[in-house]
Amino acid sequence: PGKGRVTGVSGEGGVVPLDPSPSCLDRIPRDRFEELRKACDEEGELRRQDGLRPRAGEEADSSSRHPEAKRRKVATKGKRPRKRAVDELEAQKMRTLMSSMSQEQLDRYEVYRRSAFPKATMKRLIQTVAGSTVSQNTVIAMSGVAKVFVGQVVEEALDVCEKWGETPPLQPKHMREAVRRLRSKGQIPGSKHKKILFF
Amino acid sequence: MADEEDPTFEEENEEIGGGAEGGQGQRKRLFSKELRRMVYGFGDDQNPYTESVDILEDLVIEFITEMTHRAMAIGRQGRVQVEDIIFLMRKDPAKFARVKDLFTMNEELKRARKAFDEANYDYGS
Repeated sequence: PGKGRVTGVSGEGGVVPLDPSPSCLDRIPRDRFEELRKACDEEGELRRQDGLRPRAGEEADSSSRHPEAKRRKVATKGKRPRKRAVDELEAQKMRTLMSSMSQEQLDRYEVYRRSAFPKATMKRLIQTVAGSTVSQNTVIAMSGVAKVFVGQVVEEALDVCEKWGETPPLQPKHMREAVRRLRSKGQIPGSKHKKILFF
Repeated sequence: MADEEDPTFEEENEEIGGGAEGGQGQRKRLFSKELRRMVYGFGDDQNPYTESVDILEDLVIEFITEMTHRAMAIGRQGRVQVEDIIFLMRKDPAKFARVKDLFTMNEELKRARKAFDEANYDYGS
């Protein structure tokens, strides 16, 4: 009863990581979200075959821009059965999780995965601060880290909000308290350098 | 004239005064649209408060500024490189995992593309 639950959420195939994807899903129409996720999973599986062991619960998505199936025929390093078993287990958990999500949760999850900082703006910002050009990889890395940063602040702020017996939307006071707490945990760097005020 | 307050100036003053966290003051908002979506994804309301989003934007810019400066100070001086960013994140598990994964992913993509191109080249000749 109430909100309709999504049925038919497939999800077989490789791992669906929990980390936000920077770019894989950006250009895909919403109704093809599932298809593309699977393609990304294949990409992710290819990546894992090369020996990268993902952190528990924090597997990264692939940022594939070319999810052709051809990629799998490319020679990769030897497969590691144990890793695939682990990946399959994670995939299973993800399938279970997604199949029990409400529509609202799925909507939010999709936005969670797709949202990203605009590359051009990010590049401009970094280059202004650096006073020199930076590579595209640097922009991607910085964008990814910045997104994790936002997530950490928001999660802490939601925690504060709840502890104070209040509800979203988050207010500035929640943000400020969250920042205060994260700073003491060392998750927000203090300033060692002169701040850039205008640009 | 002398008594008249220029309304434009007054507005600017108010904005700076009522600005967000930190001493950065107000500037043109760079990430407003995407940040609003991002906080929804992370658990905030679908319509977040603008003031809160502004605070976040200032935080993000401060973070990026700080990291860029630090990255330039290590490794190849004066340059911001991915390896530097990875090193700088070493004490923060979430950020470290993310940037390392992105980097490794990228390396693998490059290898795959290269092998793919080489395979194509062989078939062509």
